[in-house]
Amino acid sequence: MHRPLRLLIVTLLALHGTAAVAMSSEEMLSVLKETDLRQSNTGDYKALAYIEQKEKEKADIVRELLVYRRDVDEKFMLLTTKPKSEEGKGYLRLDKNLWSYDPGTGKWERTTDRERIGGTNSRRSDFDQSRLAEEYTPVFCGDEKLGRFETFCLDLHVKSSVDVAYPQIKLWFDKSTHNLLKRQEFALSGRLMRTAYYPKWEKLYSSSKKADVWFPKEIRIFDEVERSNSTLVLFKAVDLSPLEGNLFTKAWLESKSR
Amino acid sequence: MNLLSPINWLIAARNLLQHRLRSALLVAIIAAVTALMVLLAGVFTAMEGTLLRAATTLMSGDINVGGFYKTSLSQSAPLVTNYERIVALIKEKIPEASYIVTRGRGWAKIVSETNSAQLGISGIDIDQEVGFRKIVQLRAGALDALKSKSGIVLFETQAKKLAVKVGDRVTVLAPTPRGVNNTLDVTVVAIAADMGLLSAWNTFVSEDTIRRLYQLNDSSTGVIQLHLKDRTQISLVEDKVRNMLVANGYLLMDQDPRSFFMKFDTVNRQAWTGQKLDVTNWKDEVSFVNWAITLIGFAFTLVVLILVVLISVGISNVMAIAIRERTREIGTLRAVGMQRRTVLSMFLSEGFLLGAVGTILGVLAGVTIAYAITAARIPLPEGAQLILMSSRLEVLPTRGWILFALLFVTGTITLVSLGPSRRAARLKPVTAMSHLG
Repeated sequence: MHRPLRLLIVTLLALHGTAAVAMSSEEMLSVLKETDLRQSNTGDYKALAYIEQKEKEKADIVRELLVYRRDVDEKFMLLTTKPKSEEGKGYLRLDKNLWSYDPGTGKWERTTDRERIGGTNSRRSDFDQSRLAEEYTPVFCGDEKLGRFETFCLDLHVKSSVDVAYPQIKLWFDKSTHNLLKRQEFALSGRLMRTAYYPKWEKLYSSSKKADVWFPKEIRIFDEVERSNSTLVLFKAVDLSPLEGNLFTKAWLESKSR
Repeated sequence: MNLLSPINWLIAARNLLQHRLRSALLVAIIAAVTALMVLLAGVFTAMEGTLLRAATTLMSGDINVGGFYKTSLSQSAPLVTNYERIVALIKEKIPEASYIVTRGRGWAKIVSETNSAQLGISGIDIDQEVGFRKIVQLRAGALDALKSKSGIVLFETQAKKLAVKVGDRVTVLAPTPRGVNNTLDVTVVAIAADMGLLSAWNTFVSEDTIRRLYQLNDSSTGVIQLHLKDRTQISLVEDKVRNMLVANGYLLMDQDPRSFFMKFDTVNRQAWTGQKLDVTNWKDEVSFVNWAITLIGFAFTLVVLILVVLISVGISNVMAIAIRERTREIGTLRAVGMQRRTVLSMFLSEGFLLGAVGTILGVLAGVTIAYAITAARIPLPEGAQLILMSSRLEVLPTRGWILFALLFVTGTITLVSLGPSRRAARLKPVTAMSHLG
């Protein structure tokens, strides 16, 4: 169903860029740091998000959820608010552990940080703060033209002793704005697993950061193994005002389903 | 005249023959109940047999030395590291083991061109797998192909769902113990006949394939499976293995009679890292299907009890009517000198004869029907497969169950006859002779 759209995006983002001028390591690292910094906030972060999952021979799944972040303490929480059957389910990161909560059973389960969110093809990393410079080492892989955008591509390989879901990712940045436009994630075997497109970026002034915080308005994720599956993540109503102090606790998440 | 007197039996038999229709009806009912008992017992036995066969072929040895390796507090993998030393210890200290196999354990997404499925994957060395070769029936392909290439053995239902045949490629996706996504392209080398519930989620690849998928070194495996010479020794040998491992410095998990994949949550909550071993037996590994065994056992007992109560009430009533009809005859027999005990034994003999003839006919009918059903290889619908653990209807009554049915039904009928027989024996000759019924 999404194939024409995908083809359109791929066509629009057609290749044939100008001759590539390799970037230095410092320049590449600076781009990654800039991307991380743009999306981080020294204060709190709250967003209303929607996930739409399309799978072959299955009904489309749409979920509404609230994303909470306190980047300074690396705190992170997701709370599903719709549909009714999923209401109250959530994820909470405490220290280095990601916990999932199901109000149906009242049980908390320690999950891997790489788990799919709510059974969709979206990951915790799609909602969390960006740590590209911290986790990966970049290699320049050329200039490309993605549709009307002049871009450059960085091939990122995970640093040793860092655990991530995808040990290799490729990123395409807009040359003029340094906005991330496309991301491809590869398995350990080198197989392409996911391609994500970031067609819209927005910014919001953060009084705590005294600068803008950037966030993708939408992410279109295509499953490259099961080609018929895709996920759309929409971010609405981002709020950077301070959150309650005791928000990032199991008790708070549990209270939302009582 | 006593209970064993041939004349007593002769009278009883003649009385039964005199009331042919009534006797035939009672014998038919008793035979039907006995046959049903034999059939139900056959279904139960076949179910247990299939479960044992499937469990010890697909999922488990008679005894398993498995365990978990935790790279961090929240990440555990079903691994046994440095397994060669443990295998050597078992070979040296556990002579009860007939043969030992090692298997990799995993859970992965298998993706074909058209579909995908979340399935368990076992990494096997096909040369070690004596039982596997004997039990698993191939519909297509060859198991030996697992040795030469990155192959996968699927069961019929899985192959149907993934729409693949021998020679097709599928992609196996799984995260490594460190949580990094990995994939492997493998070829379907064989498709095996379904083996009920347990074959629904088990697939087989080579140990090398599973090591590459999970990025494991050659000294790691998923589980060491011991197949014993004598299965009755399981609990004794299990304790012996446990003690032997502790004595050799291995850390063991607390005894938990559940399948390994049900323990992830418990293990992930525990505050330890590194290796802990877990010793289980085949029943522990298939404990998640115990509900089906319990359910069938309960239903079987309930049906038998209800039927036995019903025929007991029926027999009791029929005998009471017979005694009423024969009150004057009893009076006459008593008047010519027949002892009360003899009257009692005469009627008891009738009950016993009814029971014995009915149960023998029932057993013959039950066994014949059971073998006919099994020989017909009737395919079961998916829902029934989940409960009966088999893809075909099998009814396999054992000698033990047949003997039990014979003794239980005959004994119950004889016991039920005791009440009316005692009432008959207590009748006074004068009262009985003057009875007008």
